[in-house]
Amino acid sequence: MSALLHRSGRRHLARHPWLLALALLGITLGVAVVTAIDLASESARRAFTLGAETLTGRASHHVVAGPGGIDERLYATLRLAGHRGLVPVVEGYLQLPGQTLQLLGIDPLVEGPVGRPGGSGAGLLPLLTDPGALLLGRTTAEQHGLTPGEGFSGIAGGRVHSLRLAGWLEAADPVQARALDGLAVADIATAQELLGRQGRLSRIDVILPTTGRAAGLVRLAAALPADVRLESAGSDAVFMTEVTAAFTLNLTALSLLALLVGAFLVYNTMTFAVLQRLPQLAILRTLGVTRREIFRLVSVEALLIGAVGTVAGLLLGLVLGHGLVGLVARTFDDLYFTLTVSGLFLTPWSLAKGLLLGIGATWLAALAPALAAARVAPGALQRRSVLEAMARRLAWIAALLGLALLLVAAVLPALTDSLAAGFAALFALLLGAALLAPIAVRGLAWALHGLPLGRAGVVPRLAVSSLVATLSRTGVATAALTVAVAAAIGIGLMIDSFRLTVDRWLGQRLQADVYVSAPGALDGTLSNPLPEALLGRLAALAGVHATSSYRGATVASPSGPVNLAVVDLTRAGRAGHVLIDGDSLAVWTAFETGAVLLSEPFAHLRRLVVGDRLRLETPAGTRMFPVAGIYADFVGGSGRVLMARATWLHHWQDPAISSIGLYAVPGADVDALVTAARMAVDANVPVTVRSNRALREASLEVFDRTFRITDVLRLLALGVAFAGIFGACLMLQEERARELGMLRALGLLPGQLRALVALQTLLLGLAAGLLALPLGVALAELLTTVINRRAFGWTLALDVTAGPLLGGLLLAVGAALFAGLLAGRRAGMPPAAALRGE
Amino acid sequence: MNGASAAPLVRLSGLGRHYREGDVRRTVFTGLDLELVRGECVVLFGRSGSGKTTLLNLVSGIDRPDAGRVEIDGICLTALDEEGRTLFRRGHIGFVHQFFNLLPTLTVFENLMLPLELNDRADAAGRQRATELLAEVGLADRHDSFPDRLSGGEQQRVAVARALVHDPLLLLADEPTGNLDVETGARVLALLKQLAAAAGHTLLVATHSREATMIADRVLVFDDGRLCEDGTRTAE
Repeated sequence: MSALLHRSGRRHLARHPWLLALALLGITLGVAVVTAIDLASESARRAFTLGAETLTGRASHHVVAGPGGIDERLYATLRLAGHRGLVPVVEGYLQLPGQTLQLLGIDPLVEGPVGRPGGSGAGLLPLLTDPGALLLGRTTAEQHGLTPGEGFSGIAGGRVHSLRLAGWLEAADPVQARALDGLAVADIATAQELLGRQGRLSRIDVILPTTGRAAGLVRLAAALPADVRLESAGSDAVFMTEVTAAFTLNLTALSLLALLVGAFLVYNTMTFAVLQRLPQLAILRTLGVTRREIFRLVSVEALLIGAVGTVAGLLLGLVLGHGLVGLVARTFDDLYFTLTVSGLFLTPWSLAKGLLLGIGATWLAALAPALAAARVAPGALQRRSVLEAMARRLAWIAALLGLALLLVAAVLPALTDSLAAGFAALFALLLGAALLAPIAVRGLAWALHGLPLGRAGVVPRLAVSSLVATLSRTGVATAALTVAVAAAIGIGLMIDSFRLTVDRWLGQRLQADVYVSAPGALDGTLSNPLPEALLGRLAALAGVHATSSYRGATVASPSGPVNLAVVDLTRAGRAGHVLIDGDSLAVWTAFETGAVLLSEPFAHLRRLVVGDRLRLETPAGTRMFPVAGIYADFVGGSGRVLMARATWLHHWQDPAISSIGLYAVPGADVDALVTAARMAVDANVPVTVRSNRALREASLEVFDRTFRITDVLRLLALGVAFAGIFGACLMLQEERARELGMLRALGLLPGQLRALVALQTLLLGLAAGLLALPLGVALAELLTTVINRRAFGWTLALDVTAGPLLGGLLLAVGAALFAGLLAGRRAGMPPAAALRGE
Repeated sequence: MNGASAAPLVRLSGLGRHYREGDVRRTVFTGLDLELVRGECVVLFGRSGSGKTTLLNLVSGIDRPDAGRVEIDGICLTALDEEGRTLFRRGHIGFVHQFFNLLPTLTVFENLMLPLELNDRADAAGRQRATELLAEVGLADRHDSFPDRLSGGEQQRVAVARALVHDPLLLLADEPTGNLDVETGARVLALLKQLAAAAGHTLLVATHSREATMIADRVLVFDDGRLCEDGTRTAE
């Protein structure tokens, strides 16, 4: 194809730098968000896998038991019985300022999961002799300003301990170094002491040579007591992938939403570029350039823009990814499991995905403008009025297509339960609404025409009439703006709704007035349970009307670990559990006689319904628990199972309690009760005593922290939306430069011209903003009631709050006005210069 | 007929074209027959809206007739598909428009080179030809200027050079002086005639200007959808 044609195209873009910059910005932001989210999610996943691999080492299997772990004497018994390749491990968490590390207790004399720990400093001997000695990854130690031999404090098992850095964990390579960054290694006895698990092991790793492994495993399994079992080492990673799949898919979809908005910006830009060049394209057609060549010309230009924007997006995505990885890891942490991610894992596939998506989205976005360009008639046959008339006809066709897509969006979620269908509906909704935008602009202009503008002067009349007269451009711009603003409104409403739902849920759930909790009460890593006697002491306090107890535990099941919430509920406590499925009268009777209730996310994830049976590993072997009901719950992404304390004691014989709820008599002073409860607790026992309000605030704080990543995505969507509105309005005015010059030549004063430009962009922003309101609400409805339900199993009620709606409208109008004012600078340009045009 | 050979280059037979404006069907012309011989300069004279541009669009393959045939150099344009007609136009037709229609993003020289590039003739000889033509139209010193820096007359001279640069069989000019003052228009017409005649190209000029008929070997008057010979000119 002619090099001159490409040169001509390049010069056209160079003469319209705003056009080029906005196209690049659209695709750059879109690709950056997708890449950043992908890299951050992938990094969190890799960190988990790497961590699991590092902790598991060469072990093919683990020997594990119930929530209390394994009696360490079992290890000695097995060794004495001749079983080889066994490595005892104690696992827990150690908190340092601003960081939670995985604490691993090993036998330094046995080659354990992390190999023989080496490193600078005093080496391994202090691990055996010094009760507070630890090895840390070099980066972690440096972050905390620690050198070998130095003392420091850390919290483990709910208590503060004096520790000492015995040395660094030396990694074989940079990848292993990252895994070691989240790790603290101690001698088994030290770890047991720190975690308050004297005499207990978390697991025994099994490292057997391939030859004879099967026979060795069979022999080992046969030697284990009934409450201890042998598990494959890879099951944790598989479970992790399963439970986080929906979360990462959700993040990916939201990031794709940003890319879609970016693609709209490209579509908008390329359409403007084609419209601006209609006369030139017509000349080329006269000179004998074929439709195919025109199509190729515009496509190649778009692809070049896409390529440049995508590369810039990838680079920006890397920077953004560094910022987001911490947020994603925090969400994983709050929803699923403790995770330490020290950096970004760059995978060629993540970058390739970004590259393909960016260039692909650009090409798709440019497809329609390229086809339109190819349809340009040669020479004089191409008339602006013909084009505008065609745009008006197309507006009706687009509206019909848009309605069809809206119908698809409304019907699709009802046809299938899949998450993919939910997302398809989401994108159909957006595209459908975008296709309705041109007709909506006509409607707005028609409504404005009805206003008595005659007295308002020439400027408002011109502004309104140009809206319809230039529908080929205003329609496209409005569509792009609507999608951008609606995305921001939709995500904003979803977050607000979620927060309100959780707030209401906390209000229902937290019925007690004061909560007394042991450290780690909620995450199942209970180290120091509350003394049983405390329950009686607290119940006897003046002003206490009733008590409830809670025990968090993680037990094994054939389908992965299960978080149990073992409760002894009062009537009010039961009322705090809102049943989604199950007979409300029969549920609690069944519950007290051995049945369990499933949280909604748990039932969703494990695909269980009322009447099914849940298999759990108990000390006496696998037992079946009938599912009596499903209740609303927002704790953790993998859900949990509610079990009556009597049922728990019957099967596990473990009387430990994680927290106690105190119900005050009506009119009692809750603050006084908090003080009294604190006094009732032994000073040596680490507990937290909080009022209902304090716990609620703390829970909402966790919620806000968990969903900060979504909030960041909303902000990014807002940024893309702003760029979109600003760009579209600016392009519209750029494209009309000649017309504005003519108006100046006809005698319009610079001030009038500025007002005209500002009014036109304002109307456009208003049209987009108004159209984005219902679309944003519909989007939020889909996100909250369909996507979240399918991704996480959370039933949320959509609360249409004014904040996101007003914010969206202000964003549209503000950005449009800003662009209008900037474009209005042309008003000062001499009419001759503007009329000269190209 | 200055140097024109007798073999017809262009043959239009039974040509008809109408437009639809809303519910109204407007006939531009019907049953139109015309032959142009090689090297001939024919001026199509008529008032605005008489159908001259429509006829040029049909001859160039830009538009398709509703009835009849367009044959150029033995090739039936009406039988070709859109791409075929475009490629034919690319290789064999030069076009001069009323509004110059130069590409604003290409320099004067690049505008001239474009038809050569499209025809794979942008080699040294092609560049030489473009340079010579630019000199012939008196714009050798505006080689690297962009069109918006030229006057109307200069732009039209570039357009003439661009229409001739790839040695087309047929040169079409649609109101080539419509956007120029009388003096400049006359100079452009003279240049067009001179260059077309020198190269032996057939020239068909559509105009509403009586002055433009002065360059014609033959004048055809377009009136009310009918084409007739202008006795005053053909008698000369």
